[in-house]
Amino acid sequence: MEGNYQAHHFETGEITKVAILQGFNLTKWFGGLCAVKNVNFSMEEGEILGLIGPNGAGKTTLINIVTGNYSPSSGQILYEGRNIEGLKAYQVNNLGISRTFQIVRIFPKLTVLDNVRSALVDRKTRLPWKVALDSLVKHKEAQATGRNGEMVATQLLESVGLASYRHELAENLPYAYGKRLEIARALATHPRILLLDEPSSGLNPKEQNDQISIIRKINAQGITILIVEHVMKVIMDISHRIMVLHYGEKIAEGTPAEIYKNEKVVEAYLGGETGADR
Amino acid sequence: MRAPRRLVESLFLQQVFNGLIVGSLYCLIAIGLTMIFGVMRISNFAHGDFSMLGAYIALYFIAVVSGWFGWIGSLVAAAIGVGIIGFFVERFLFRRLLTRWTDIDIIMLSIGLFILLENGARLVFGPTPKMIPDPFGNTSVNLLVVSTSTLRLLSFVISCVAIFLLQLFLIKTKVGVAIRATSQNRNAALLMGINISFIYSLTFVVGSALAGFGGVLYGTIFAIFPTMGAMPTLKAFAVTILGGMGNIRGAIFGGFILGVAETLGGNYISMQYKNAIGFIMIILVLLVIPNGLFGEKQRT
Amino acid sequence: MNRKSVKWPLIALGALILLALPWIIRDRYVQHLMVLSCISIILSSSWNLLAGYSGLLNLGHAAFFGIGGYTSALLALKLGLSPWIGLPLGGVMASFFGILLGIPSFRLSGPYLAITTIGFSEILRLVSMNWVSMTRGSLGLYGIPPFTPLKLSEKIFIPFTTEQNVYYIVLVFTVLILFLLKKLIHSEFGISLKSMREDEIGSESIGIHASYYKLMVFMISAFLAGFAGSLYAHYIRLISPEMLSLGETFSVLTMVMVGGLGTLGGPVIGAVLLTFLSEGLRFVEDYAKIDIRLIIYGLLLMLTILFMRNGIAGIWKEIIKPIISKPER
Repeated sequence: MEGNYQAHHFETGEITKVAILQGFNLTKWFGGLCAVKNVNFSMEEGEILGLIGPNGAGKTTLINIVTGNYSPSSGQILYEGRNIEGLKAYQVNNLGISRTFQIVRIFPKLTVLDNVRSALVDRKTRLPWKVALDSLVKHKEAQATGRNGEMVATQLLESVGLASYRHELAENLPYAYGKRLEIARALATHPRILLLDEPSSGLNPKEQNDQISIIRKINAQGITILIVEHVMKVIMDISHRIMVLHYGEKIAEGTPAEIYKNEKVVEAYLGGETGADR
Repeated sequence: MRAPRRLVESLFLQQVFNGLIVGSLYCLIAIGLTMIFGVMRISNFAHGDFSMLGAYIALYFIAVVSGWFGWIGSLVAAAIGVGIIGFFVERFLFRRLLTRWTDIDIIMLSIGLFILLENGARLVFGPTPKMIPDPFGNTSVNLLVVSTSTLRLLSFVISCVAIFLLQLFLIKTKVGVAIRATSQNRNAALLMGINISFIYSLTFVVGSALAGFGGVLYGTIFAIFPTMGAMPTLKAFAVTILGGMGNIRGAIFGGFILGVAETLGGNYISMQYKNAIGFIMIILVLLVIPNGLFGEKQRT
Repeated sequence: MNRKSVKWPLIALGALILLALPWIIRDRYVQHLMVLSCISIILSSSWNLLAGYSGLLNLGHAAFFGIGGYTSALLALKLGLSPWIGLPLGGVMASFFGILLGIPSFRLSGPYLAITTIGFSEILRLVSMNWVSMTRGSLGLYGIPPFTPLKLSEKIFIPFTTEQNVYYIVLVFTVLILFLLKKLIHSEFGISLKSMREDEIGSESIGIHASYYKLMVFMISAFLAGFAGSLYAHYIRLISPEMLSLGETFSVLTMVMVGGLGTLGGPVIGAVLLTFLSEGLRFVEDYAKIDIRLIIYGLLLMLTILFMRNGIAGIWKEIIKPIISKPER
């Protein structure tokens, strides 16, 4: 299918704004288990798309497929109109898509500052051999590890409220701050799209509110956001649109209000007439 | 004139048989290693040194109680002796690392232990190789197409019995099942009320005792010297990787495979590179299947 | 007088002392140890690059050392090539093998990688022992030519057959290599390696092509180790398959762990300390007639892991440095 750089509304087919990320018939098998089945989606630039579904619905798998951590069994992904399925994770990042992880993957023995600085290194225009060469010949100040890098990294940390911790080792950070650090680090690669995998899990209500405002601020800068979440309050509050997965298939899509009332969604979460089983 | 086909065939079978015998020894040592890795995620590079210690314990035991009766007794003595040593090693060395466990830390510690034990043994026992006299007086046995010394045959039988008993222990007894449970999912085992500390100690003791036991057999068939533990360690690792670290059945399978492959390779390809066969095998296997032929058990 | 203005005079002083050392200490045996220390510094630093900064557990490092030594020695013995040319060529040859060993590291880690690297170096050791026509097997190679003399003018002619003169060669290379490593590590390249070490998947999510970096570090590390091997070959002028043994690797590993893994100064401290300690213990051995050297090595390694995980450099950083430097914030 040709990559048309336009978004068709899921049901009406109406052409709306520019579609920055699209998935067509994405399917992923793990052995005999189908984790994601024929999922289609489309994201407009600048929107916040929420992705919800009961446990095991395939949300993280879908994220992993988009980011290149998994390759899809079949299907296509178009980013800015180009196919990116099958690309590796670092390549996807170099194109402008960043992510955070469900269980945080920060760099424990590096300082908070260095965690962000490592992402500031320009890898989009240079191959690793050039990075090595530049490290030998270029002046330290011109690099991410120099003073400029420190300034930019500190700014990023300020935007998530972690600037005062920048000389701490990342492993010493409390869990909620670690999640924020990962967001700051993901932003350092100047992404156009940010994929957040359960950014609020394990946070108390106050921390969740802080997280919401951080995400809103990011979106205000023009970054498109796909957010997987279990905490309903967060996702209803923050998403422009929501997509619902169940057993690997998309069962609903629409505004938060529409999703809230959608029968299929309610049934998926509550288990239908036989009563709650989740 | 080519050798008659019958002769060639039986020579091949003989080699296979020899390989199985050596393989059974590899199994003994490898099973201990893989158990310890499976339960505690410890890669013990000093494991072969436990075999060495077992051999020396047997040597001293036999000096006191001679004959084949003494030999059998030395097997028991070695197992017990090395088991005790293993207990202390686990409790006071590896246990201390469990809170800040990283691959490098544990491997480095075991390497340090390896260096210490090897050279300590050299200091205490002297570098010259020693022999345990063949308790069966160098007799040999003929089994239709193959033949071997009584010693080797009996070692083979004893190894197989020991392996079988271990399997029984792991499957039928409560403690054995607890060990397997811990190996598969430590947290769930903890929640089920299993005393992890006890399991750790027990696993290490049993694994080390097996190594010591195997060391006696190994030392009787070959020779006993302070650095005899190095090669078995590497081969045990090769076997555990072939079979999947943590996977006991894989280790059994792998041990026999390695034994046969080495013997056949040594005879038909090159004697000098015999020891390299194990390494070549694992490199090839790992390149294709990063977790070994039977894979590592999934852990949470 | 702040820290910055103290830095350069200190460095100049240090350089002066290092250069003057062979004139201050005239004992040839100590000078010999100084040469060995420098070679060990290069070798240890190269291993530290892999294990300390990149998290790649290479237990077959001695193979690179041996390949470098044998390559350079054979080129000199069989082709009459000048050792000065053999020096970098030994490194290049070793880095080819570094690439070979780098490939498994893409998918393997921890004990799996460790055993693969051991297997690799054991196979190469067996080759060096059994390819008698090329390497003379266990006998090894002897009569390896020393570094060809430098002719500065008609009258001034510097041979490299004494410990003192070779010391200057290895000192220059050691300082140069340490300087280059410092640039590499305290830079974007270094921070990329460290990220990869800390969490490979996390590092991929910020655009780091882990396999590429692993290959590069293996190449660089192997080159340096091979280089050290060549230095060794043309200094000691006698090498054997022992150069590729596990014992050699364990020796390097102990130096780095005791000195401080993952620091620039650690390998330096460890190499010098253990070279001198090892020889010092040899005197004890001769006197007391017991073989204690390696036992001490093993004990040191174990004690370091248990009580002093970050080595001597770690203790410096954690305890002594905060006391010395005044609080700034």
